[in-house]
Amino acid sequence: SNSKDAKSTSGEDDSRDIVQQKTQEEILFHEETIDLGGDEFESEGNETVSEDSNNFVDKLNEQMMESVIISDSPNNSEDDTGELGCLQEIVDQLEAKDNQKTQTEADKEEFLSNESETEHEETPKDISEIGTDDQASLKEDSIQEAVKEEPKLENNIPVETKPNNVDESTPEDQVLSPSTTKPSSEAEPIPVCTIFSQANNASSQPQLFLPDGFEPQMVKSPSFSSIIETPVKYNPQVVQPSPSLSKFFGDTVNTNTLASDFFDSFTTSNFISVSNPNASSSVPEQMSSPSNGGDGSSSNPTFPVQNGRPEAGGPPSSLEISQSPKPFSQIQAVFAGSDDPFATALNMSELDRRNDAWIPSEETRNVLISVATQQYSTVFIDKENLTMPGLKFDNIQGDAVKDLMLRFLGEQAAVKRQVLNANSVEQSFVGLKQLISSKNWRAAVDLCGRLLTAHGQGYKKSGLPASHTTDSLQLWFVRLALLVKLDLFQNAEMEFEPFGNLDQPDLYYEYYPNVYPGRKGSMVPFSMRILHAELPQYLGNPQESLDRLHSMKIICAKILENLEQGLAEDGSMTNITQENRQASVQLWRSRLGRVMYSMANCLLMMKDYVLAVDAYHSVIKYYPQQEPQLLSGIGRIFLQIGDIKTAEKYFQDVEKVTHKLDGLQSQIMVLMNRAFLHLGQNNFAEAHRFFTEILRIDSSNAVANNNAAVCLLYLGKLKDSLRQLEGMVQQDPQHYLHESVLFNLTTMYELESSRSMQKKQALLEAVAIKEGDSFNTQCLKLG
Amino acid sequence: LFIFAVMRLTKPTLFTNIPVTCEERDLPGNLFNQLMKDDPSTVKGAETLMLGEMLTLPQNFGNIFLGETFSSYISVHNDSNQVVKDILVKADLQTSSQRLNLSASSAAVAELKPDCCIDDVIHHEVKEIGTHILVCAVSYTTQTGEKMYFRKFFKFQVLKPLDVKTKFYNAETDEVFLEAQIQNITTSPMFMEKVSLEPSMMYNVAELNIVDTAGESESTFGARTYLQPMDTRQYLYCLKPKQEFAEKAGVIKGVTVIGKLDIVWKTNLGERGRLQTSQLQRMAPGYGDVRLSLETIPDTVNLEEPFDITCKITNCSERTMDLVLEMCNTNSIHWCGVSGRQLGKLHPSSSLHLALTLLSSVQGLQSVSGLRLTDTFLKRTYEYDDIAQVCVVSSEIKQ
Repeated sequence: SNSKDAKSTSGEDDSRDIVQQKTQEEILFHEETIDLGGDEFESEGNETVSEDSNNFVDKLNEQMMESVIISDSPNNSEDDTGELGCLQEIVDQLEAKDNQKTQTEADKEEFLSNESETEHEETPKDISEIGTDDQASLKEDSIQEAVKEEPKLENNIPVETKPNNVDESTPEDQVLSPSTTKPSSEAEPIPVCTIFSQANNASSQPQLFLPDGFEPQMVKSPSFSSIIETPVKYNPQVVQPSPSLSKFFGDTVNTNTLASDFFDSFTTSNFISVSNPNASSSVPEQMSSPSNGGDGSSSNPTFPVQNGRPEAGGPPSSLEISQSPKPFSQIQAVFAGSDDPFATALNMSELDRRNDAWIPSEETRNVLISVATQQYSTVFIDKENLTMPGLKFDNIQGDAVKDLMLRFLGEQAAVKRQVLNANSVEQSFVGLKQLISSKNWRAAVDLCGRLLTAHGQGYKKSGLPASHTTDSLQLWFVRLALLVKLDLFQNAEMEFEPFGNLDQPDLYYEYYPNVYPGRKGSMVPFSMRILHAELPQYLGNPQESLDRLHSMKIICAKILENLEQGLAEDGSMTNITQENRQASVQLWRSRLGRVMYSMANCLLMMKDYVLAVDAYHSVIKYYPQQEPQLLSGIGRIFLQIGDIKTAEKYFQDVEKVTHKLDGLQSQIMVLMNRAFLHLGQNNFAEAHRFFTEILRIDSSNAVANNNAAVCLLYLGKLKDSLRQLEGMVQQDPQHYLHESVLFNLTTMYELESSRSMQKKQALLEAVAIKEGDSFNTQCLKLG
Repeated sequence: LFIFAVMRLTKPTLFTNIPVTCEERDLPGNLFNQLMKDDPSTVKGAETLMLGEMLTLPQNFGNIFLGETFSSYISVHNDSNQVVKDILVKADLQTSSQRLNLSASSAAVAELKPDCCIDDVIHHEVKEIGTHILVCAVSYTTQTGEKMYFRKFFKFQVLKPLDVKTKFYNAETDEVFLEAQIQNITTSPMFMEKVSLEPSMMYNVAELNIVDTAGESESTFGARTYLQPMDTRQYLYCLKPKQEFAEKAGVIKGVTVIGKLDIVWKTNLGERGRLQTSQLQRMAPGYGDVRLSLETIPDTVNLEEPFDITCKITNCSERTMDLVLEMCNTNSIHWCGVSGRQLGKLHPSSSLHLALTLLSSVQGLQSVSGLRLTDTFLKRTYEYDDIAQVCVVSSEIKQ
């Protein structure tokens, strides 16, 4: 039980600030356990107990219902505390009395001596943990309050109901309704509805709605009253909290915050900001690419344009291009066949125009027109209309895996951990891609920063005039995209901020007639706009995301409209061949579809399921080839809500759609859906059967493997479940060291034995070999 | 020696990923898209779809609500290096009122080798609100023959999932309309699978939450089949007293039991919950000592032409009455026949039917008023105005 202790101590660290509350609740805990026993004392003296205490339970239950109303509806809690003041006083006295009683009783009790004081302290923490849910961070306050109040209210109940309880002669059927109301509203005639006694007595419950004529109803489990048996005569023991409680239930708080990071991104976005202002300078010196040097300082770009290809002439990119970063080399390859340089240039600009097209706002358009007509030079443009980005933090390098290795496996093991960092690759696009594909995204972010520094947009350059090129914006896109991939949303937001709404004039090619003669459109990659629009939803502001996505949708639709009317994308009268127009329509339709996709995802995050389902339906129009996947996805949404019937309907639609196609993938999809449906019907055995079925077709299917293992756990087969997951991870660590799989694995280790720590460390070693610095170590639950 | 671990088994959740895409011409080329394709948690062929297929185990205890089923995994693991004998695992649930045994099997396990475990999954439908304590106990015999016993306690709170408020409307026709507001006070969306009113023996119920349009019955709540946290839904029911009870005026009087609401809901991946309200009661409207109700009346009549109505007079008091009927004309309504007519003795809870003739001298919507009943025993007069309304039209239009 060493690991247990370690757990609980670390847990205590976290919750030091509630210590005071703990002690308070400790008392409550004691008092409450008496309540459990005390109830029995009351009735023990009588022989007729059993039946009557049923009724008593009923009453008790009703009373407690009330207490939950108070504590559970947040908007009322403030009012209540005031009103409850007097009640609490009475209760306090009662507590005092009862506490004395327990003391003596507790002395008589034999308890495991090792359950010492620390354990007492832990229990209150558990209560509050139990009270919290996955969205707890928002509501924690109110819930904690609830926990505080609840026991007191419960305690109050005996006081109120005692008269009834004493009155043994009350026939059972009567007790059910009228007499419950007695204590509270004896004298006054009961209006319309008398079920809920609290409705009448409660000036202390402001939310009890008499004004609107609605009566609160007590709800209870249908079989409740029939099921209760004679209270078991157990010894009136003070129930002792146990350490393992905190081990298991206690983990929840720790995992709660960390897990929400990546598992429940719908609700929270906790993360650690990794900005490091100390580690500044040094970077620019490392960048010594000669061609980049000039660009940073040149605020008035006048560069000769060579061979009609603007980017090639752009000084910053010349070096990288010679090293053939992928997109450019591909483009070159496409047109390599054509030996007519003029035709190449023409084609090139066709492709550029199509991809870069964007419709600026009226204001921006005016600035761009005046730049084109040379009415005034760029210098006179208002500073706030200019984009002046810079790195807001310059080093998030770090390797959490290595840190954990140092902590748990020792220095010797940690030394063996070798990952690429920004220094160990070529300082170019090539090196950048190497870092990205080896999943060293932190290092890649760092390298982007260096390359941007070379562009004069480094640390502390924000707010200083900058000149933009295709490359600098691509670098920004990569950096920001990686920050989002690393869940560093706030950092991404900080660095996105100078870009405004991505519509400033200096983000358009027309703004640089000398550098990009004749080129039109926006330098901002479309994917960066998507990223920019999606970002607020991860920071708890999905409404802003929807707004941004909506304005993107409008522009995409406008561009498509222009194309249909025989105009160019931006609405200008340019001659476009039928072929090119077709290609452009295709491109912009798929972009519009991408926007719709983001909208649907955002609505899903907002839990506005009706609209989300509608949005996914419209995505199908743009991506018909994804219809089966999307229909299955909609089905899963309904499963999540709990609407099993509608889910089933969608799954049937999927089977109809895939019926025409055959092939492995659609077969798997159908089986997967069937498995999920059984899951929704609480039939884990059948679900497991279908997941296993998939494995028979495709033994390397990670999802089916993992899901089958999860089903096994719910069937009570922990060892089998573990065997399946471990087998899968060992079989192909490259693919299956996924955080969701590891999370499940570590959860089961914790359930299995005290040796979970060693097993988790073994996982860490496996991770260390295969994963880059972007690995999210929280799923190992080593914290 | 033993490790006792308990994990609450709420339904697993689906893993969601954050899609980051780029286009072919962007700097990373198809690198981002490739990364997403390689990620096992994405949906193959539709990587941009956020909601994946990967199941993850519950991360925390979460909330448990009244009416839901509490499921828990109990694992007892032999962490020692010796074989232990006669192991008996027991799981009890202690609530404020009772103690339930939840163990699936009560038979003792003969022996448990090192590094082996005893697993059990327990289920319990939660029927009480408030503090619950799961008490797990193990007894076993060591190799040396020593009998050992230890327990662990796991405490949790059961919360209330729904807030139910009701309101009654009494119609003139003895029908009762029940409006029920059901509010989701949990923190997750709730699919309302069933909300029905089980009427008491005196009533028949008609649910008014479905609209029939062209043979297709459609819920009044539309496509939105679920309740978001804190959302409230309003259900409407119409209750009609059964014939045998409607006859006897005395029966439906004062506080009566109407019935109870039966609510079934589902949440994440079909996690089910069910609750019933306690018996709903209402105070039947008081009609005083004598009730006069209309049995028949035409809706449209001709101007200045007599028409018939039928009244029902019911003695709601506890004593016998001797009634005299007076009919007073108003400026539009003129009664035909003799005023001051003796109606005879009327016993408690009995009623008599009365056919009356009247005509209206004014066009338009007219109120039938001016009936007076006097109980000659007590010399008490009851006035009945605005009994009903008729539409009076000129005879040419009526035809």
